[in-house]
Amino acid sequence: MKYSIFSLAKAALSGHQGWTRAWRDPAPKSHYDVIIIGGGGHGLATAYFLANEYGIRNVAVLEKGWIGSGNAGRNTTIIRSNYGLPGNTGFYELSMKLWERMEQDLNYNAMVSQRGIINLYHSDAQRDAFARRGNTMRINGIDAELLDAVQIRKELPFLNYDSPRFPIMGGLMQRRGGTARHDAVVWGYARAADQRGVDIIQNCEVTGFVRDQNGKVTGVETSRGKISAGKVGMAVAGNTSRVAAMAGMKLPIESHVLQAFVTEAIKPLIPGVVTFGAGHFYISQSDKGGLVFGGDLDGYNSYAQRGNMPVVEDVCEGGMAVMPMIGRVRMLRQWGGIMDMSMDGTPIIDKTPIDGLYLNAGWCYGGFKATPASGLVFAHLLARDEPHPEAARFRLDRFRRGAMIDEKGQGAQPNLH
Amino acid sequence: MVDYLWNTQSPLQKALVAGRHGVAGAQAGVTLVEVRDLVLVQVMARRGKAADTAKAAKKLFGVDAPNTPKAVAGKSATLVWSGPDQFTVLAPRTDESSQIDAMSQAFSGAASLSDQSDGRCLIRVSGPRGRDAIAKFSSLDLHDAAFPVGTAANTSVDHTAVNCWREANGADGHPVYSMLVFTSFADSLWHAIVDSSLEYGVDTSRTRAA
Amino acid sequence: MRIACPFCGERENGEFTYLGDASPKRPTFAVDSGESPERVEDAFYDYVYLRDNVAGFMREYWYHGGGCRSWLIAERNTVTHEFRSVTAAPGVGASKPVQAGE
Repeated sequence: MKYSIFSLAKAALSGHQGWTRAWRDPAPKSHYDVIIIGGGGHGLATAYFLANEYGIRNVAVLEKGWIGSGNAGRNTTIIRSNYGLPGNTGFYELSMKLWERMEQDLNYNAMVSQRGIINLYHSDAQRDAFARRGNTMRINGIDAELLDAVQIRKELPFLNYDSPRFPIMGGLMQRRGGTARHDAVVWGYARAADQRGVDIIQNCEVTGFVRDQNGKVTGVETSRGKISAGKVGMAVAGNTSRVAAMAGMKLPIESHVLQAFVTEAIKPLIPGVVTFGAGHFYISQSDKGGLVFGGDLDGYNSYAQRGNMPVVEDVCEGGMAVMPMIGRVRMLRQWGGIMDMSMDGTPIIDKTPIDGLYLNAGWCYGGFKATPASGLVFAHLLARDEPHPEAARFRLDRFRRGAMIDEKGQGAQPNLH
Repeated sequence: MVDYLWNTQSPLQKALVAGRHGVAGAQAGVTLVEVRDLVLVQVMARRGKAADTAKAAKKLFGVDAPNTPKAVAGKSATLVWSGPDQFTVLAPRTDESSQIDAMSQAFSGAASLSDQSDGRCLIRVSGPRGRDAIAKFSSLDLHDAAFPVGTAANTSVDHTAVNCWREANGADGHPVYSMLVFTSFADSLWHAIVDSSLEYGVDTSRTRAA
Repeated sequence: MRIACPFCGERENGEFTYLGDASPKRPTFAVDSGESPERVEDAFYDYVYLRDNVAGFMREYWYHGGGCRSWLIAERNTVTHEFRSVTAAPGVGASKPVQAGE
């Protein structure tokens, strides 16, 4: 069923009785050309692009819970392509371009809203770093504007401009950045992949890998039986190490918890996404009116999907420093997601040393904005057995080779990325 | 001319405005005192010398140095635990150089000493609502059962390191807490305590160590 | 999460700083041991970059910077945040014997 103003009107006239389910609920077949483990945004996007771009339609997405129940449902919905290092810049811009046409491609309203993102700077040194990043973006054909304090005040009059400790001197603006509705992205890709023949199998947990005598992965053991496959791709960020361990692999990844928060709904206030540059705090306003904000990792390894109070306090202190007016808004919800923290803060999309097993991991806390590009380049890798040109640097062996892509310059200390 | 003096002055020179703040009334809920004129020495046992350090402390102060989070009153000084195999010595300042010389000789070869006399600020919180005020900014459990007289703790308050211990109860029968903080953070901690105490009424003053 | 420091007692985890897995051991190779460069590099790659990333009980370093300033080793469940034990890391306090050259 194609969604349009006409289908909506027609359904409305018939009392909304005529809607069909958006995707099927198939039983697993005994064999697929490609199995994707993980029914989050990345896994479903991969399946969609495999079917749509590379003509591989005998594909299953296996999800241990329900689709979008991992980090696709536990993020702050920000999309942007303001990265400074070779490898990242092009990749995230590819993603931004895919966001811009996603709703037409998928025939699904993902509420992609390019309301702009502003990274505030508070010192001369930070301004210089942002100017350099902005220049890098513009050289690569990406929009970026360096705004001074006067321009920022015009855009965001409600910030604290009187703080002697964290003076707001300006910000780096990417107007094409913004937000998208996280669940709708999952549902949109699921529906579009399903329409192209992909089997989305929920409540199907992978419990092991099937290997042939040469060690090649030829399928998976699941809670719903054994399924054979030509190739198996992992898109299970947060739990990558656990799944990789089933294949005997140890990876340059740690799992950490990141918390985020939403307040009660208030009238439209924040035009886009704002990040505080002197502490770790970022905020936007959802279409429903809630302020969505977050900050740093808790800092310790965790698979718990929940965090602790010191970081709640730290995030709120950051918010109060840059935007004291939010002190009177009540917090409604808080959640924690498991971040796949790689050793340089950059993802890994590559073949593994094990034949037949492919890896899409290490998204740190930037996975949501990458969803479409991640799906496209992972599908490319699975279909062609070679990396997509825009993901050619996201190799698993880059740590061994010393070719890290460390945007923050932090070194192999994942809880600090 | 710049307003600049070489004279030692309190880190709370500006922050401490003596008198009643917050709610007025017959009796203030919280009494806040800055204790001045202290000699303060950090004693850290050298590797493998914990026993020698303990022996030297016993000889000099007539009490066992605390090896758990406690504050112990010895002759001429109070010894406050400040970490494994280390403690802080507090004494009213009489003749600073001879006081420190005596310690240097006593701990010679056993422990390393660090004179912190002007590096820390001592704030004493007491009164019927003193504990309630502290509870607003400290995560320590200060219940009598968990934090009786003589208990000490190294803790964080507002991202600031604080050594806290409980003195003998005041004449009014209410608990008395001492808080030792870096001079550079004293101002900030002072404001935190005063802010927390306003609703109870707070009397602030300055005194010489005795 | 509250952490029972063996010196200070139970405290809120904001007083502590996390380092991570206590299991990796820095490889030691004697100079001119004849070890192939590949093996040395592999060992260091493993030590610096690879992690078991345990889901379950893990031995890890915590630093009680907001308290007694001691390095601690905790056994903590990364799935439930339950602590099984917290002990002093080797060398805390004056317990470690004097090393040559100190």
